[in-house]
Amino acid sequence: MRKPKFPIFHVWLDELSELVKDEGILIFIILLPLAYPLLYAMIYNTETQRELPICVVDDAMSSRSRDFIRRVDATSEVSVAAHCTSMAEAQELMRRRDVFGILRIPREFDRQLWLGEQTTVGLYSDLTSMLYYKVEYLAVVNVAQDLNRNIKVLEHQTNITAREEEVARWPIRFEEVKLYNPAGGFAAFLIPPVLMLILQQALCLGVGMSMGRSRERFRGLVIPPTRHYKNTLAIVLGKGLVHFLLFMLMAFYMAVCVTRWFGLPQLAHFWDLLGFFVPYLLACTYMAIFYSSFIYRREDCILLFVFMSIPLLFLSGVSWPGSAVPPLWKAVGSVFPSTWGLNAYVRISGMGASLGDCHTEILALWILAAIYFLLSCFIYMFEIRKAVGRSVLE
Amino acid sequence: MLDALNNIWLISRRELQSFSKRPIFLVIMIVAPLGFLWMFSSLMKAGLPTKLPAALVDEDNTHVTRELTRILGSMEETRFVMKTYSYTEARQAMQRGEIYAIFRIPKGTTEAALTQRQPVISYYTNDTYYIAASLLMKDMRKLSEMAGIAITRETMRARGFTDDQIMGTVQPILVESHPLGNPHLNYSVVLTNLIVPGLLMLVIMLTTSYALGMEWKNNEQKLLFEMAGRRTWVAIVGKLLPQTVLYTIIIWLFDLVFYSYFQFPCACGIPRMMMWGFLAVLASQGFGLLMFEAFPGMMRMSMSACSLLGVMQFSLAGFSFPVSAMDLPFQWFSNIFPLHHYFLVYVNQALNGYHISYVWLNVAALVALSILPWLFSYRLTEAFLNKEYKA
Repeated sequence: MRKPKFPIFHVWLDELSELVKDEGILIFIILLPLAYPLLYAMIYNTETQRELPICVVDDAMSSRSRDFIRRVDATSEVSVAAHCTSMAEAQELMRRRDVFGILRIPREFDRQLWLGEQTTVGLYSDLTSMLYYKVEYLAVVNVAQDLNRNIKVLEHQTNITAREEEVARWPIRFEEVKLYNPAGGFAAFLIPPVLMLILQQALCLGVGMSMGRSRERFRGLVIPPTRHYKNTLAIVLGKGLVHFLLFMLMAFYMAVCVTRWFGLPQLAHFWDLLGFFVPYLLACTYMAIFYSSFIYRREDCILLFVFMSIPLLFLSGVSWPGSAVPPLWKAVGSVFPSTWGLNAYVRISGMGASLGDCHTEILALWILAAIYFLLSCFIYMFEIRKAVGRSVLE
Repeated sequence: MLDALNNIWLISRRELQSFSKRPIFLVIMIVAPLGFLWMFSSLMKAGLPTKLPAALVDEDNTHVTRELTRILGSMEETRFVMKTYSYTEARQAMQRGEIYAIFRIPKGTTEAALTQRQPVISYYTNDTYYIAASLLMKDMRKLSEMAGIAITRETMRARGFTDDQIMGTVQPILVESHPLGNPHLNYSVVLTNLIVPGLLMLVIMLTTSYALGMEWKNNEQKLLFEMAGRRTWVAIVGKLLPQTVLYTIIIWLFDLVFYSYFQFPCACGIPRMMMWGFLAVLASQGFGLLMFEAFPGMMRMSMSACSLLGVMQFSLAGFSFPVSAMDLPFQWFSNIFPLHHYFLVYVNQALNGYHISYVWLNVAALVALSILPWLFSYRLTEAFLNKEYKA
């Protein structure tokens, strides 16, 4: 094969052929970004908990309490899996994890309602997952509010017109709108940020493995001691370009294919997406190159990068509300492209924000890209000097 | 037997020496887990995030709506960082990520309410930020409901009903919710003390494959095998024992911090939790060892497997999104992860204080994960004898 004229292409070709030959790297740069999003999307595809089994302790045993239970059972959130005669029995079911909540209707339920007094229904939730509490609470409160309106209108206000009845039922109407996530589920909330995190982590692992491999092959140097590797800019650009281009493909695979296959919201315009992916992937690539220069064995990068994923997700303020993240950890998070990238992507793709709406994040990504690019240049300058020194000694 | 013990001791000493030579070991095994403990416990210090930023669009702007918004502003989760008369402006702020919710009172609300014409108020939550949106939704919903009740109450008071009668009319059925084991809905209790040990378990899996794989990489596997007197189990125990001790100390430290310092609910007592922590360490080591036996002598492949599976365990353990809500294949799949079983044992023991017999299957699974790799140790014996490191 003829050697290309420009060193940048030489570096580019070298890096590409290295990647293709190495199955360890291929796992992280091809398999991981292709398969992981599908797996995650499938896990969260059900969006929310439906028909959660709960049990009922009906001490009132009246037609009215049975009506209440029937309505609870009819909700999509929970299903009444058992009727118990005592709390002890219900607790036993809960301990065996056959049911995840207990609805208790008191003995005086009917009597109090007939007397026009307030009665209290007890809901005991298993907190194995916060979601259990949420769906049970919603289901029971919705039913209770519904019944309350009926009771208020039908039993306490007689001789009224249909319109008066309507107004008495709902003196103020309220409208609840879940924006950008109509199902109110987990997939639309968690998958988009996870996609972006996968991009960054896969990039770090791929770059780290390839640089660790160079170090092992060239006795501690990240560049081969040949004449093409004398120009810092060419090396940094050439190496970066391989990963950048590959992951640009992956990014669009995630933003277009995965998003469409699983019906996730995608409100972004092509140019907005591109305008975000360019700085994000540049920042990720050069961050990966910079941090990987501290790695001396290729396997070390798995140790270093893998478990960062979970903390980075929390630092980004997407899963745990950003307004509740303490300043110190905001500062720590701000040195990682993912913190800015996750937020920007969620807004651009999920909420239809324009680049202008996330200018802070985009600017931060460009700044990070520039800083990590310069740092990578310094590292390579230093490495070239080391390589030259070594060849002089030999 | 004495001979074997002596060999184990020698191999362990050699292992400790190799830790001390490589700073990355110390960073990953000690600094990182403690760093995560610090990070997550300070991140979720408040337990439940409060005072989340929201916008108020009060197009009506009368004394009644101001009263309403004052109440909403005094509620736990909501903080109005933005007051405006234009919905578009609020929506743009939401797209910029400044607020999580919008509470909107349209023009003419007060007038319509007083003249019994059923005004409509609306609230919008940004459900791409799930936790924030859920919490804000709860507040806004409560307030909207209360606003309706307040209006009926005023009408009924004017008709001469007593307050008891009124409550019996406007809210005859009251739901009293009892979140068991975690009455303050402290997220930290179900997140910090699972994510932090979970991260430790991931580290354990990775370092188990890493430490074993190192032998092949340095081409010292034969030396190790000889040191162990050509007995595979001696070699494995010698290699992994220092890590077992170290990680057990770390997870016990976690338990002390969570249940003694932060006073998270621990109905079974701290020593019990420490025992489960120890079992979790063993199960994670077993998981790592199993992966190494799946790819014997292939450090990179086994570490890749550990990392790909290990990161998934945070989703499949079921403490954020419950396993019962997933599709059936994933419900089965979740059973291979030590974190899933540790989580269920934790809920049973510490959070709820039930008898251990209710989760005996999960305990058995943890034990099985610790024991299972020993059945396949013959694969390591082969690898010791015939396998070379491939770059």
